[in-house]
Amino acid sequence: MINIRDKGAEIWETWNRPKRVAFVLISIFFAGLLPFAADWGPTSFLNTPITSFQNVLVYPVGMFILMALGLNIVVGKSGLLDLGYVAFFAIGAYSQAILSTKFGWSTWEVLPVGIVIAMFSGMLLGLPALRLRGDYLAIITLGFGEIVRIIALNSKGTGGPNGVAGIPNPPAVFGFKFDLMHPEHYFWLVLGMILLVVWMIRRFTVRRPGRAWEAIRQDEDVAALMGVNTLVYKLWSFVIGAAVGGAAGVLYASKVMVISPDMFKFDVSVLILACVVFGGIGNIWGVILGAGILAYLPDRIRFISDARQVIFGLVLIIMMNLRPDGLLPRKKREKITEKSKK
Amino acid sequence: MSEKMLELKNVTIKFGGVTALSEVNFHVNEGEICALIGPNGAGKTTVFNVVTGVYPVTSGEILFQGQNLAGLKRHKVVKAGLARTFQNVRLFGDMTTLENVITASDVHKKSGVFGSLFGTPRARLEERESRERAHELLEFLGIDHRADQLAKNLPYGDQRRLEIARALGTEPKLLLLDEPAAGFNPAEKIDLANTIKKIRDRGYTVLLIEHDMSLIMRISDRVAVLDFGEKIADDLPSKVQNDPKVIEAYLGVPADAS
Amino acid sequence: MNFSVVTSQFWALCLQGVALGLIYSLISLGYTMVYGVLRLINFANSEVFMVGTFSILFIQVSVLGHAVNVDPIHGIQLLGALLLSLVGAMLVCALLAMLVELVAYRRLRAHGTNRLASLISAIGTSIFLSESFRIFTHSRPQTSPRLLEKWTFGEIAGANFRIDTVMAIVASIAIFFALDQFVNRSRLGAAIRAVSMSEENSRLMGINLNRVVTLTFAIGGLTTGAAAFFYTTIYENTQFNVGFNLGIAAFTAAVLGGIGNLRGAFYGGLALGLLEQFASAILGSQWKAVTVFLVLVLVLLIKPSGIFGEAVQQTRT
Ligand SMILES: Nc1ncnc2c1ncn2[C@@H]1O[C@H](COP(=O)(O)OP(=O)(O)OP(=O)(O)O)[C@@H](O)[C@H]1O
Ligand SMILES: [Mg+2]
Repeated sequence: MINIRDKGAEIWETWNRPKRVAFVLISIFFAGLLPFAADWGPTSFLNTPITSFQNVLVYPVGMFILMALGLNIVVGKSGLLDLGYVAFFAIGAYSQAILSTKFGWSTWEVLPVGIVIAMFSGMLLGLPALRLRGDYLAIITLGFGEIVRIIALNSKGTGGPNGVAGIPNPPAVFGFKFDLMHPEHYFWLVLGMILLVVWMIRRFTVRRPGRAWEAIRQDEDVAALMGVNTLVYKLWSFVIGAAVGGAAGVLYASKVMVISPDMFKFDVSVLILACVVFGGIGNIWGVILGAGILAYLPDRIRFISDARQVIFGLVLIIMMNLRPDGLLPRKKREKITEKSKK
Repeated sequence: MSEKMLELKNVTIKFGGVTALSEVNFHVNEGEICALIGPNGAGKTTVFNVVTGVYPVTSGEILFQGQNLAGLKRHKVVKAGLARTFQNVRLFGDMTTLENVITASDVHKKSGVFGSLFGTPRARLEERESRERAHELLEFLGIDHRADQLAKNLPYGDQRRLEIARALGTEPKLLLLDEPAAGFNPAEKIDLANTIKKIRDRGYTVLLIEHDMSLIMRISDRVAVLDFGEKIADDLPSKVQNDPKVIEAYLGVPADAS
Repeated sequence: MNFSVVTSQFWALCLQGVALGLIYSLISLGYTMVYGVLRLINFANSEVFMVGTFSILFIQVSVLGHAVNVDPIHGIQLLGALLLSLVGAMLVCALLAMLVELVAYRRLRAHGTNRLASLISAIGTSIFLSESFRIFTHSRPQTSPRLLEKWTFGEIAGANFRIDTVMAIVASIAIFFALDQFVNRSRLGAAIRAVSMSEENSRLMGINLNRVVTLTFAIGGLTTGAAAFFYTTIYENTQFNVGFNLGIAAFTAAVLGGIGNLRGAFYGGLALGLLEQFASAILGSQWKAVTVFLVLVLVLLIKPSGIFGEAVQQTRT
């Protein structure tokens, strides 16, 4: 099978800068138009039967893409299996819930704080866990995800099993209101965050952190013997992944306005992992595609929605056995960089 | 001159019941090419492993330029100026040749995650410099034309050369080569011998594990011999070659019995 | 926090802890044996356990035709029903474990793909099983019929020696003894030990690796099935997610005892069962899972080879 991603990259590399910029801008423009796709004749088949298409685009589609990109930094870039990614999502969401309802902070004020709290918890978990063998890491992160939920379930400050209600929507920015009437504004917000994360990952990939992660993923022992501070870089990938999860959590809480512990079960971690694996571990475009498909389909095809998790389980098994690199595999070709061209 | 660059003092290491090194005393002088030889399973690779911090020693100590390496993290050892190659090639197969070398050269960089994210001037400068240096190193080993190929796709000989280039990428003071000529034909071996000499002439110290005696005779200043984890000889190449104990170790019978 | 229960119910907690701990030990064999030969966490083992509990329900309700609210039965009829449930659950679990190996691991192993892929595939299997059962049972907990009248042998120092607890303890110990003999005495057992030592050497020695792997999954399945039986007899209900917490606990027990180490699993399970009983008596049962997790983290940090040492060889560079 041809590698679509490589084909795309080949074409991309023949372009000069203005062409690339134009392409990116046009792509973003079309992505921004997505919320109106369901209203337009030729693409109206996209409409979802129960929840409105625009809302589906925000959650689950946009949110899943965002979180899958974050998890991909951990699983895809540095090869660390994190089965408790939902914990950071939960921490972000509860930060928003508590800081806004108890202290009156706005979403924009909570956002950086929520991210920092998530990063800090990532470090707290990572410092002991990342010293361990890879498969122990998987089980420890799984446990961590559960613990965060159990703490939320059994603490007074978090509202116990009922969770927190009455979380305010984000205040308007530049006249863009964030309320029930304007799901497309939320979508643009999420789109903006996705673009930011993509930009961040692309920066990292071609520089020192990306190389360190790649080396760790391929052979951690050799990486260390070639001078990579493996613990620190593993920690960074963990913490950066946590930051993205936390940001998604903050936004999610202020969009849905009510959160409770049962929204943050192990299922969510698996689901995001399935998105990453399905699309193509380690490749941002693959992850976006995979998350988009897996998030959207259960809302479009009704009978899937109940069996959602079963299907995600199947996706994991089938993909790993038949196409372990996912729909759009990571770079396989030999790269032609400008500077090394002779 | 002969300052001791690396020194092993009474180093012993045991794996369960196996004593891989026992009471080894051994040193490498600054600026020399020192060869480490011995029959299969003698403990040569194990010397590299304890020096680079893969295994902790059971007893004894290891000094690098006077500094005790005990308990030093592996990347710190590299930063201190020790770099190695692997007997069974262990490149980052899914990276390009160039990236392999740049990854190693990252060890001395000052810029990290923030610099990379925001593209600070220093990070950009360091990226550019390490790229240029990596090309130079590849040129030096004669594989720059492969710079953009994935390491796993290189022919075997070039993979071995890349191992050396990658180790040099860390700007080591002491370069540890584990059987760099394994699987080479005579012409390639001569070529490699010249490269190793050139590496030394550039100011690096080299510790070399090798089985091919003629190659060792040609380039090394000193030869140490291990047998069953014990050092049995340590002298000039010409002397070691005629040492009965060494001959015995290699042939498995006392030299005068035949 | 309530420390007075520790003194007032000390022996009762001990007895329950031992029973629960042995159940953990039996499940943890499903992890520890597989880890020994494959160096992989058998994530789906928790779901093998879950299916085991449902298979007992199926045998007792659908095959033997006992209604859920049936009166306890006696004599030879009871013995037959219990034996059939036990053996049935063990067989179902063993078959399922072998199937899991075939579906989730075999192909990936043959291709030599990386460990990440195998782990993810195993998690996929686990999700698939538990979610299928969620859909079949509409997420409802299922009660199993009480065939065994819960009479008690008597009370010693507040510890109530109920028939089901005693049965679980005695039978688990017997199973462990038998397995220990098998692994240490039989030829197949020797093959398993050889593969645990070094996969490469055992291949050179002409050991059929696939057969050994299948065998270890089968053994893990058998003991997990037995655990499912004791669990169901004691607690009399089950649910699609019953494997989740028990799985983590059993895995912790395996690590605690030293992964890959059979006797370690036994003691690890016991230790964890006791610890969990006391912790939930003191802190409240909602913190049970947290305690288990903290134990796991602490063991891994302080003594990653477990109390009894790993039966797994070091990796080399
Ligand atoms: N991690 C380990 N665990 C157990 N034994 C080991 C380990 N590493 C090395 N050994 C043993 O130590 C001895 C020395 O091995 P080493 O690899 O250093 O030999 P060598 O001199 O490099 O041999 P060769 O010429 O074959 O490369 C061998 O008997 C080997 O089996
Ligand atoms: Mg060797």
